[in-house]
Amino acid sequence: MAGILRPLAGRAVQALTVALLVGLVSFALMHALPGDPAMRIAASRYGPDLMTAEAAERVRAELGLDRPMPVQLAEWVGRLATFDLGRSLVTGAPVAEELEIQLGASLWLAGAALALSMALGLPAGLLAGMRAGRLPDHLALAAAVLLRALPVFVTGLVLIIVFAVWLGWLPAAGFGGWRDLLLPGLTLAFGLAALSSRVTRDATAAVLAAPYVAFARTKGLPERLVVLRHGVRNAAIPVVAVLGLQLVYLVEGMVVVESLFAYPGIGHALVHAIIARDVPMVQGTALAMGLTFVLVNAVVDLLCAALDPRQVAR
Amino acid sequence: MTAVTLAAAPPPRARFGRRGAGAVIVAALIAFGTLGPLLITADPARQDLGNALAPMFGDYWLGTDHYGRSLLARLAHATGLSLALAALTVAGAAVPGVALGLLAAWRGGWTDRAAGALADMVLALPGLLLVLLFAAFAPGEFLPLYLGLALAQWVEYFRVTRATARSVLARSHVEAARLLGFGPPYIARHLLLPELAPVLGTLMAFGMGTAVLAISTLSFISIGLHPPTAEWGSMVTELLPYYAEAPAHVLSPAVMILLTVLGFHLLAGAERP
Amino acid sequence: MRFLMALCLLLLAAAPAGAADGGRPVRVVAPWEITGVDPARAGYIFGRMGVAETLVTVDTAGHLVPALAQRWSQSDDRLTWRFALRPEARFHDGTAVTAGAVAAALERSRAAGVLGRAPLESIAADGDDVVIRTRTPFAPLPAFLANHTAMVLAPAAYDAEGRVNAVIGTGPFRVSSLTPPLRLEVERFDGWWGPAPAVARASYLAVPQGETRALMAESGEADLAFGLLPVTVDRLRRNPRVAVHAVPVPRTRLLKVNAGAPFFDDVRERRALSLAIDRAGIAAAILRSPGSAAGQLMSPGQAAWHVADLTPLRHDPEEAKRLLAEAGWRPGADGILEQDGRPFRVQVRTYSNWPELPAIATVLQAQFRAVGIDLTVSVANSSDIPAGHRDGSLHLGLVARNFSLVPDPLGTLMEDYGPEGGDWGAMNWSSPELTDILATLGAGVDDAEAAALRRRAMTILQDALPVIPVAWFDLMVAANERLGPVTVDPFEISYGLATLKPVR
Repeated sequence: MAGILRPLAGRAVQALTVALLVGLVSFALMHALPGDPAMRIAASRYGPDLMTAEAAERVRAELGLDRPMPVQLAEWVGRLATFDLGRSLVTGAPVAEELEIQLGASLWLAGAALALSMALGLPAGLLAGMRAGRLPDHLALAAAVLLRALPVFVTGLVLIIVFAVWLGWLPAAGFGGWRDLLLPGLTLAFGLAALSSRVTRDATAAVLAAPYVAFARTKGLPERLVVLRHGVRNAAIPVVAVLGLQLVYLVEGMVVVESLFAYPGIGHALVHAIIARDVPMVQGTALAMGLTFVLVNAVVDLLCAALDPRQVAR
Repeated sequence: MTAVTLAAAPPPRARFGRRGAGAVIVAALIAFGTLGPLLITADPARQDLGNALAPMFGDYWLGTDHYGRSLLARLAHATGLSLALAALTVAGAAVPGVALGLLAAWRGGWTDRAAGALADMVLALPGLLLVLLFAAFAPGEFLPLYLGLALAQWVEYFRVTRATARSVLARSHVEAARLLGFGPPYIARHLLLPELAPVLGTLMAFGMGTAVLAISTLSFISIGLHPPTAEWGSMVTELLPYYAEAPAHVLSPAVMILLTVLGFHLLAGAERP
Repeated sequence: MRFLMALCLLLLAAAPAGAADGGRPVRVVAPWEITGVDPARAGYIFGRMGVAETLVTVDTAGHLVPALAQRWSQSDDRLTWRFALRPEARFHDGTAVTAGAVAAALERSRAAGVLGRAPLESIAADGDDVVIRTRTPFAPLPAFLANHTAMVLAPAAYDAEGRVNAVIGTGPFRVSSLTPPLRLEVERFDGWWGPAPAVARASYLAVPQGETRALMAESGEADLAFGLLPVTVDRLRRNPRVAVHAVPVPRTRLLKVNAGAPFFDDVRERRALSLAIDRAGIAAAILRSPGSAAGQLMSPGQAAWHVADLTPLRHDPEEAKRLLAEAGWRPGADGILEQDGRPFRVQVRTYSNWPELPAIATVLQAQFRAVGIDLTVSVANSSDIPAGHRDGSLHLGLVARNFSLVPDPLGTLMEDYGPEGGDWGAMNWSSPELTDILATLGAGVDDAEAAALRRRAMTILQDALPVIPVAWFDLMVAANERLGPVTVDPFEISYGLATLKPVR
């Protein structure tokens, strides 16, 4: 049991480090960026029509952007210690409130995408791996390459045209219900399944060609049992490692999907916060993403350890 | 059982067919990217507003884009740029990633933990944040974008290498090889590489596509390159609104990306007997 | 079989009847995100959705009409304005709209809104009237009050520190749910002073992608879709379920020119730049609206300011080259013009809030290259234009300038073409005569004199070209047939939800 608790304690320490590091790095980088933050904030607040240099000066005075950087940073760390993320410089709403909506929406979308991608990618990869070099393998490769080589927004647009405009089954945009999740989730899942099906296929093929599997076959085990007992378990290791990473990368694809499907989310929040130089929002979103990552990482490690106990022993 | 019998058997002849096809595609792409701009004299930036979205196989071989620019000329100029920078990104991510991954798996202990912590830290910083910040430092320039991408992506290679290598090294036949006195270079080449190569090959082939697509993603959220630069990713985004009027035009840069991913994937020989 | 058909007919007949009591909500999609509840931030969305109101508003012809104030008057010395409120008006929280509450709301809006740009002396409550004093006579004051930043919110809308924490307005609809930055849902407010709207509920969804908005209009998911891309309009026009409106709005895409830079300090250089632009080509290929090529600053839609017999700006690259040669520019070795060893390499800054601006900049790049000017396009944040104006680093800025921010273009012109120029207007250029004209118009003169002065002002701008007009603006709206007749407000103040009569 201690073998599992120790890494978890390690993760807690990591979470804390990540929190501080993310805050520091995003703060430092945001302040190192060229351009006047007061101008950027004013432009995001008031839009190009109402934005003027006077408006920027008022923003500067209101937010105290003139104060020395260490003072501003100390303020953030001090607030973080009391779990206060501050207020968005653009909307004026508390960052925690905005994150609640956006992180929640993103997690739902990520979950839907991951589930759909596993439903699509794993069987395809397993089948292709077991029939390596034969027709199913070629078809799976062609599909994966096609899906992976198309920009996310092209896939998304095709899905909208088919399912929302032609068939009228699903809404093209919006959020709130499970039906709203399907099209954006599927759009993301296609990209994910393309990669994970290939990794699954390679891992399966590799494992099935390994000497210990050959030995199992010689031993007389039926093929189905060979695959289940030796194949799936060993092939799962790189697949889980890749899937864990994908959840993190999902955020990137999400930016496009969020924009295309008018879905609220953390990628969208981060992009807008960076453009607006909304430092508390950048810190807040980066923090939320960093901590999500630590969590995913812990789960992946636990899964890998469960799949291959020798790794823990080493 | 000796290590010698464990070494991977040479791939059967049939594999050369697929690899050959991959090599042909990649060679064709490289030829188009290098020779194309020399042979196609049309200026990729010259506009002809009265002739916007001209059809394929008319006055212009591949038609024109929404400014009436020759798509053939633009694709030719984009190919060299996109391929070179995508390769740079993949190399920039794969070389440190694989090296660190192997080191971590081989040495274990503190090295492993330190490398793992570093990778975790980088991953915990959203890759998007890195790319956007790099882009903000030098708006419209290529290198920062690709550098940011490489910086965000090396971790993928690191983790896959480390996970696979650790699992391979823990196997009894590898331990046997170690005990028999085979050195790291032998084990890496004969026992690790055959396991690693297919996975890495897949990652890298898709990585080429990912790098190009990342640029199209960025132009989609209006963080792009200075016009009139021709680049596959931004061409797809630029042409997208015209999908109903000129679907083939939108797809032409997408087809180039597709060929790249397919070509490199086949070339990587990502399969096992 | 006949029975089945009868059943179908019955169902068809029953479905709209079921929708009679308000029916399904009217769904609006637009590109603009709800960046906050403060009127100065996304107030225009709450105004357009009929949640909050201003004292004065404009009709679709541009005339000032009463809103929360039923009438107003100006004192004889032209310094004091008195606005009489509607006694029956109620805030959405049920409280009465008192003069004190209105004065307090307007006072708050001075901090960040357009009222801060008017020469205000004081805003006070006097009985049931709101009294506003100005330091100097200021004729466009009622127009300034029609801007969304001057909308009136209830005292309960503000927290202890004066921040807006909820939009409690007086309009025909009240907020039923708000999920910034994307969605706003409203329902009919029965305490509204005007005639009860037919629409019971409506929703607003910010959809950043123009493609998605068009597809939502096509699929019937959006009843009103705003900000359509030019390329999607032709497709939507062929859809029988959708009516597409292209309404000219008082917004002009123009090149802001740094007249202090050595490249543009000579009026011949600015004219050459203007002659190099193929406006008809841009209007046809990029904007798909041939009528939007801007021959002068103001479009024909702004009848008071458009000067019909002004010689329109032309496209003539040869004449442009001749003027540049006259101004001392000689072709260099690489075909780029040079003057005293300085190559004509300049940068245009633009932004992507309006997706066509980067595309127009790309066209300008090619067209300027044809006369020997090397133009770099920098697609940046919109704030980089005022920032470049202040620090002098801007060469050219391609902007879409809104002349109806205060419904009377005079407000924008005073801001943009004053003695110091303006963040979105002239840069290092001023004309004492124009300054005088704008000041006289601001103080208020009789109609005939005003018309002559406006004409003179437009002629000065056309001759000196401190900004180079490129294209006028059509607001593209797709409306579902079920909404019945739809009026699109060219001043973008209202979506007209209160007057919609959806077809049963």
